[in-house]
Amino acid sequence: MEMLSEDDLNLKEMTPEELDRAWDLWFTLAQATNDFDPPYTHGVFVLSHLDPEPPPPAEAQADRGDQAAGKK
Amino acid sequence: MQNVYFDLTEELNAEGPIAVLASGQAVVFYRLALMSKDGDWLLRETPDACRRALAVLGRHGARYRPGAPLDVRWLSGGWSSHFEFSDPQGHRIRCDFVSRPPRVSLEEVAALFSPSREPEPMLVVGVEPLIRMKQTQRAKDYPVIGELARLLPPEREVELTTDPDRVLALAPVYGKDSGRLPVRAARSGGSREDVVIELAREADRLQQEDRARIERYRAASDAYLHEVQAARIGDLALPDAHTRICEIAERWLPYNPLETGD
Repeated sequence: MEMLSEDDLNLKEMTPEELDRAWDLWFTLAQATNDFDPPYTHGVFVLSHLDPEPPPPAEAQADRGDQAAGKK
Repeated sequence: MQNVYFDLTEELNAEGPIAVLASGQAVVFYRLALMSKDGDWLLRETPDACRRALAVLGRHGARYRPGAPLDVRWLSGGWSSHFEFSDPQGHRIRCDFVSRPPRVSLEEVAALFSPSREPEPMLVVGVEPLIRMKQTQRAKDYPVIGELARLLPPEREVELTTDPDRVLALAPVYGKDSGRLPVRAARSGGSREDVVIELAREADRLQQEDRARIERYRAASDAYLHEVQAARIGDLALPDAHTRICEIAERWLPYNPLETGD
């Protein structure tokens, strides 16, 4: 009995068009986890840790302050 | 839609070969698995190749992610450069470049761009160098290596596979001259468990070696990454970002941390 799993995609048997469609679907679905991906997954920066994001420029901070205060 | 990373490979090489598709997208090309949301390329180590790659990335509105400048001074020291943009469908496209992949000899890299190489519609790294690039600290790469090794002739598969059953099957015929411990265990009448243990030890050694190598780069890049982040390089359009990130790297990033004697 064949089991339905990723292993049964059998990519080698697909036509180029089928492979493109499979890739397209997989890649679109994979976008759902973008926010959870580590910033580095490849290369020599894979062990690096970034500082917390630096504060935005003063102008943007002022804008945000205005919005928080209900200003337009 | 064709794989965006295949399209980018063709675009990067439109004026002559400068970029060879590698890592996860090469695994997709060999039809072994749909994996990796990023694109990785081996870039020809010339200033012209860097300029052309930056031009292609700039046309797509790419921004630098924290990483080394796409410049031969740092690429030749083993650093990697990282970019990101969104395609018209809103997909996040990440592009990573190296010119000195780990565990691949300079001769092998040079051969990828040799004028004598047969013209191919898609430049993709060969299976054996791809396997060695995949011998990383990440456990998930080792099952992929086992699948990639099946694409090799048996005398090479026995030297690189991570599948104990393949070692046991191949060792009697193709492992006579092998110095590899899992193969020797199989040939000396060891049990399947003995082969599994030797494979696990080998993978652990490879993972530790890779981690030690990467740690040298991490230690050498901490201050630099802090400066890149403070300069908000990712907010700048690519030409300005490239100029600025080179200025920062000239002050903070050694060309080759493996040669500093740390």
